[in-house]
Amino acid sequence: MIESLLSAQLLFAAAVLGALYALIGLGLNLVYGTMRLLNIAHGDILMVGAFAAFWWFTLTSLSPLIALPLIAVFGAAIGLALYFALFRHQLAQELDASVIEGRSLLLFFGVSVVTQNVTALLFTATPRAYRHLDEVYRFGDLAMTGNRIAALVCAVTLLIAMLIFLKKTLFGIEIRALIQHREAARIVGVNVEKVQMVAISIGFAVTAIAGTLLSMTEQTNPFMGFRFTIAAFVVIIIGGLGNIRGGIIAGFLLAVMEIYAVTIFSAEARSILIYGGFVLAIILRPQGLLGVRKRA
Amino acid sequence: MRDTFTLITVILAGVGLLYFGSIGAGPYWQIVALNLAMWIALTQSWSLFSGLTGYISLGHAVAYGLGAYMMATLFSEWPIWVLVPMGGLVAGVFALIVALPVLRVRGPYFVILSFGLSELVKYVLLVVETALGQSSRLLFGAPGTQTLLVWMLALAAVATLLRHVIGLSRFGQGLVAIREDETAAETIGIPITRYKVLAFALSTVIPGMVGAVMALRSTYFEVLQVFSPTISFTIVTIAIIGGAGDARGPVLGAVFLIALSETLRGVSPQLYLVFLGLSLIFFVRFVPNGLTGLLRGGGR
Amino acid sequence: MNRKQLLGLAATAMLVSAALPTWAADPVRIGYTMARTGLFAAAAPSQEQAYELWRDQVNADGGLDVVGERRPVEFVSYDDESDPAKSAQLYERLITSDDVDLLLAPWGTPHHLNVAGIAEQYGFPIVGNTAASVAIREVQPGNIWFPTSAIPDQIGPELAAMLGYSGITSVSIISNVLPFSQENLSFLTPALKKAGIEIRMSENYPPDISDMTPLIIQIKAADADAVLALTYPADAFLYMGQARELGVEADLQFLLIGPTIDAFGKAFGPAADGVVTLAHWSPEQSAWPRAKPFFDAYVAKFGQEPDYLDSALAYMSVEILQQAVATAGLDKDALRAAITDGTFDTINGEVRFDGVQNSVTPTAFVQRQGDKVQLVWPKDIATAPLQ
Repeated sequence: MIESLLSAQLLFAAAVLGALYALIGLGLNLVYGTMRLLNIAHGDILMVGAFAAFWWFTLTSLSPLIALPLIAVFGAAIGLALYFALFRHQLAQELDASVIEGRSLLLFFGVSVVTQNVTALLFTATPRAYRHLDEVYRFGDLAMTGNRIAALVCAVTLLIAMLIFLKKTLFGIEIRALIQHREAARIVGVNVEKVQMVAISIGFAVTAIAGTLLSMTEQTNPFMGFRFTIAAFVVIIIGGLGNIRGGIIAGFLLAVMEIYAVTIFSAEARSILIYGGFVLAIILRPQGLLGVRKRA
Repeated sequence: MRDTFTLITVILAGVGLLYFGSIGAGPYWQIVALNLAMWIALTQSWSLFSGLTGYISLGHAVAYGLGAYMMATLFSEWPIWVLVPMGGLVAGVFALIVALPVLRVRGPYFVILSFGLSELVKYVLLVVETALGQSSRLLFGAPGTQTLLVWMLALAAVATLLRHVIGLSRFGQGLVAIREDETAAETIGIPITRYKVLAFALSTVIPGMVGAVMALRSTYFEVLQVFSPTISFTIVTIAIIGGAGDARGPVLGAVFLIALSETLRGVSPQLYLVFLGLSLIFFVRFVPNGLTGLLRGGGR
Repeated sequence: MNRKQLLGLAATAMLVSAALPTWAADPVRIGYTMARTGLFAAAAPSQEQAYELWRDQVNADGGLDVVGERRPVEFVSYDDESDPAKSAQLYERLITSDDVDLLLAPWGTPHHLNVAGIAEQYGFPIVGNTAASVAIREVQPGNIWFPTSAIPDQIGPELAAMLGYSGITSVSIISNVLPFSQENLSFLTPALKKAGIEIRMSENYPPDISDMTPLIIQIKAADADAVLALTYPADAFLYMGQARELGVEADLQFLLIGPTIDAFGKAFGPAADGVVTLAHWSPEQSAWPRAKPFFDAYVAKFGQEPDYLDSALAYMSVEILQQAVATAGLDKDALRAAITDGTFDTINGEVRFDGVQNSVTPTAFVQRQGDKVQLVWPKDIATAPLQ
């Protein structure tokens, strides 16, 4: 068993899964960190990205990877639309964080229900799938399907790009400032409104991209999103709400647990281990395994 | 006290109306009445804890599921009038056991935790069922809709009364104080931990019994169906639309839901859900105190 | 208006009324519920679309034959929210309040079991379809029939027989913890032992598993002749993709549910070649002349292939109903007798009922070969040899 634990195959599986978990966690964290919005419709945005990719491929026979920028813009547009319609007003009132969190939860739940069912009305609930980049490449003991490599590469690239963006660019720094301490950020002259818009655009864009990457390997249907919403929340809680870097690490950590813990114990215990770990994590260290106790 | 008396009268009138009205209107309407009573019972109980303390639970399906599981597994051993209260008891005991660690957590963490807890219990039971060599259970010879309606109306009535009485009591005021400012409440001497635990446990008993009763509607029981997040989310939707401030809210919210459902489901179920989602968005955005808030003139 | 205009108007009216299809007869109202929302929403369209295809075909053909009289078919349907209890209640409504003439079945085993009670209570015959559990044997015969042969206690022994015939001596099993998979596992395991086939591993996994790599590494290590993955649709996709990636080599790969879905073929193409799964229908069976036309019509109307199990069963159930109504009319007692005693010609060949069960159609398996789905077992209905 030790050999299999050290195998490159498991590592690859954990890497791909981790990169995806990290990506969906990132999207959620950006939105929560800057605005305290609990996006329960997160997985449904992913679903929208997946459907966009499916239709792109079906109608143009071109790789959805080419369409990534387009899909990202589409995702961002949805984010902005929701921002203007639902949240701008409330955020401007500078209400207590817990009120915003509570309300956003419910608002996004409404958005989730609407998104899923509008999609079902438009495309029916029948699952869709397509074949793309499915050649398998083998290097010794390691086998990798093309679309999984592509997903890994795209996801990791995007994660690195995001980290650089947050560290080096003005908007990135402003986003981090807003996440760390809203009041202080405002005092030093950050245009809160604009930064929020950027944050939600990027958050939703990243999520839509994740959906596209997933659509290459999984079947797409209007109700597929919820699973990923749960996964995203597990990731950001373990990493610490609003903690971008923590979320990324947590994404990989969760994948590691999923792959390696299952190898050690059994596949049957998978969900119990994950949810059990999750529940324990919230109870024992609600600021996240990697977070610092934040000021409210 | 006059208030309570009026409420009791209203409850009795409502129950009578629902029961005799639905019997007269036909078996389909008995089912509608059953569902209405179910949502009222569930949401009133939820509101007892989440409405008063502000700890929004997104995991109340766990109480429902535990009660249903109890009924499904022991149906052939014990009579129903024992199993229904037992469903409530199991749910309540579970809540007591997890309460101390779970209630240490606040705000959005509690919301997500309550949800995670429900999912955890679901997956544990799935493994338990497999280990027992069971996957789905059949319940033959369950009582008909009319009997179930009586049970459910009783549960809805008790839940409403309980919500009202507790809302008025010192215990209830204490819970509200916890919602307003937990640390301050502790400072002025409210035993916050004891109150929270008690409210939490109490809020799960009736849902447990509701779950047990509802398990009897179907000949077929499967773990995945009863621990459904949809149940948890619908409760919250009803509470928002109706208003969680007092005992009228869940009734109004449930009536709204059922009315919308009956009108639109026949046309298109997806359309119904779209409207429900839009209604939720509308209420949270523009009418945060729900329908009861409107009745009271928008203020609290 | 003047005389000329009046004449013109009359002429127009006559022309128009001659051009309109005249339904002199009352429509036959047929009721059902379908899981349009909820847990089963992704699976149900394969059934409802078969119903719709049938209705359109019947109406285009001049209407349903009710003992000589042709009447148009009209559906009265509701969403049962994937809730079996709600389904039963809605059927009660269809019978008592909507006054439908006939009923079609909902999607899924739990729904069928609940609706069976209503059928019994009201003496209203319903031809079932997508129910597959040994539980259906416990249903009182009388008002519901199950044309499917994909019942776990038959699947186990048949699968063992097919494996034995193919010279398979060892298997690796992975199974979802959900009911249908577990029910099959409970019959499969003893059947395999009885056939002397070695079970090298048997692992369960939860329905929301995201990565099967550890499981598949185990499968590879066990190196059995055949791999039996008792999957539901979602994990079937996951397994197929990852088994391929990791290069699982087996003489035979069997997936419980999944490969008969249109999207599965689209997702894997030639990679899904050789996968064996549950189904007792194939359009390639020339002994069933109605099979290919159904397949073609479905593809033409919906742009996707029918599900080889669910869509076929759904269509069979309406064919049976159609043929029963042609001889017995709409009277419940006559219909009941006609379905109980009759022999029916369906897209799946001949169907006859013995109690609630189909006594003709055998428990069968299909295999994806090229871009076709062929019946490979049992030999007497096989359209192609097992590869």
